[in-house]
Amino acid sequence: MAITYDQIRTLSADLYEWSLKRIPDDATHALDAAIEAETNESARKMLAMMRRSADRAENTDRFVCSDSGVPVYFIKVGTLARFEGDVKRAIRDGFAHLVETIRPPLLQHVTNPLTNERSYHGKDMPIVSWDMVDGADYIDITCAPKALGSGRWAALEIFSFPTLEEIEAYLLDVIVKTAAQQCPPVTIGIGIGGTFDQCTKIAKLATLRPLGSVNAEPALAAMENRLMKAVNGLGFGPMGTGGDTTALAIHIDYSSGHGFTPVAICFNCWINRRARARLYNDGRVERVE
Amino acid sequence: MARSVHLTLPVSPDDMRQLALGDLVTVSGEIVMTGGLPTHMRIVEAMKGQRELPFLLDGAAFFHLPSYSVDTENGLEILYMNPTTSTRFNSLMPGIIRHFGLRMVCGKGGLDAESTRAMQEVGCVYLSILGGGATLHSDAIRKVVDVGWSDLTTHYRLIKLQVEDLGPLTVAIDAHGNNGFLQLEERARQRLPHLMETLRRERETASSATAKD
Repeated sequence: MAITYDQIRTLSADLYEWSLKRIPDDATHALDAAIEAETNESARKMLAMMRRSADRAENTDRFVCSDSGVPVYFIKVGTLARFEGDVKRAIRDGFAHLVETIRPPLLQHVTNPLTNERSYHGKDMPIVSWDMVDGADYIDITCAPKALGSGRWAALEIFSFPTLEEIEAYLLDVIVKTAAQQCPPVTIGIGIGGTFDQCTKIAKLATLRPLGSVNAEPALAAMENRLMKAVNGLGFGPMGTGGDTTALAIHIDYSSGHGFTPVAICFNCWINRRARARLYNDGRVERVE
Repeated sequence: MARSVHLTLPVSPDDMRQLALGDLVTVSGEIVMTGGLPTHMRIVEAMKGQRELPFLLDGAAFFHLPSYSVDTENGLEILYMNPTTSTRFNSLMPGIIRHFGLRMVCGKGGLDAESTRAMQEVGCVYLSILGGGATLHSDAIRKVVDVGWSDLTTHYRLIKLQVEDLGPLTVAIDAHGNNGFLQLEERARQRLPHLMETLRRERETASSATAKD
């Protein structure tokens, strides 16, 4: 058996829709924990309103946020996976199918950066990153649509042999400058090192790591913990109400490089739009997130 | 202590001067809303006499609130609405606030110091609304009163909408020159040296623990 064009087309559309209408379980748990821990009354009310908004969207089959962003997929192809039909075309067609069929309809968010015209399609849409998984008999698809609200505030700086102090100071500086614009409490992805392209990629992938998971590198786990305290100590709070909850999570990854050390920082808003599933050779569909 | 206030539109500059940072406001009445930069640019053109406005904006409650609208037998229907980032319009808002004597601006992320001055001059507040609250905000929709610039994509149109109990919205810039977002930023800057010192100590503890291993 093989994974078919139709399966991939349907799943890529479904993943996008799921990500818009339901926030991931780990984000729900993180919000609940934040409501418990938050000491600022206005912030607690705002967090509770976020939970109500998410519940309401899920229960009524509507969008949590009106801004559906642009379609962004992260795809891992197993080396044992077999395909029947075009894979890339299936993903493109999946988005086109979604635009036609989803209820309520999507707003036109795909923007031509040269003219600022908006529509439902454009060059390089959907944005897809590819990777391989040795020995796997599936294709693993994550959909994490991105919009201006949090996407606008990502930052990159190229350092040369930076100290950890410089890297941590840079993060706090970026958070102060963004000043609660990215719909906090945010998930912060940080990439350190590699090359320009590798660094931004690992920062982005870090935002997809489950909230509440512990970094496998002890030094990075410790760094994440101390930066969480520092970022939340800045006091912006959910949607800028003030309070203790500016970040739900900070996830850091690094790559070896050559002494020119890019540091990339990117954000997910409190919704953490993300949906993920696998299609297997035998026809199974496994919803992962 | 933050108060909870219900406001029925239209409101006066004096009404707005009664509000303080952090007050929670619900709003009923007619608001004007859009999410589009091109829409703001058309408004600025209208201010210069280069274009007609679809309806008057004097004393309006102006919301950075894009929406999905569809044409129905009974006119335009709004399916959902949710805020956009107000700071995108920083360069245009001071002029718009002053020209029309806006009473409130609502959106997410606040506005800059120049808009804050304009709001103080005319008696206007900025209300911060939850981003990602489409279902909750859309509950407040009652009736589309007027629609301007329908040639634009749906979330850019200028829409006059009757709402009931929209909110709670947080007063994030008052009519006395106080900007909650800028205050938070200033306070965060003041906290930076202490936070950096704490980070330094924690890095040292972590590296000495590693050295013992």
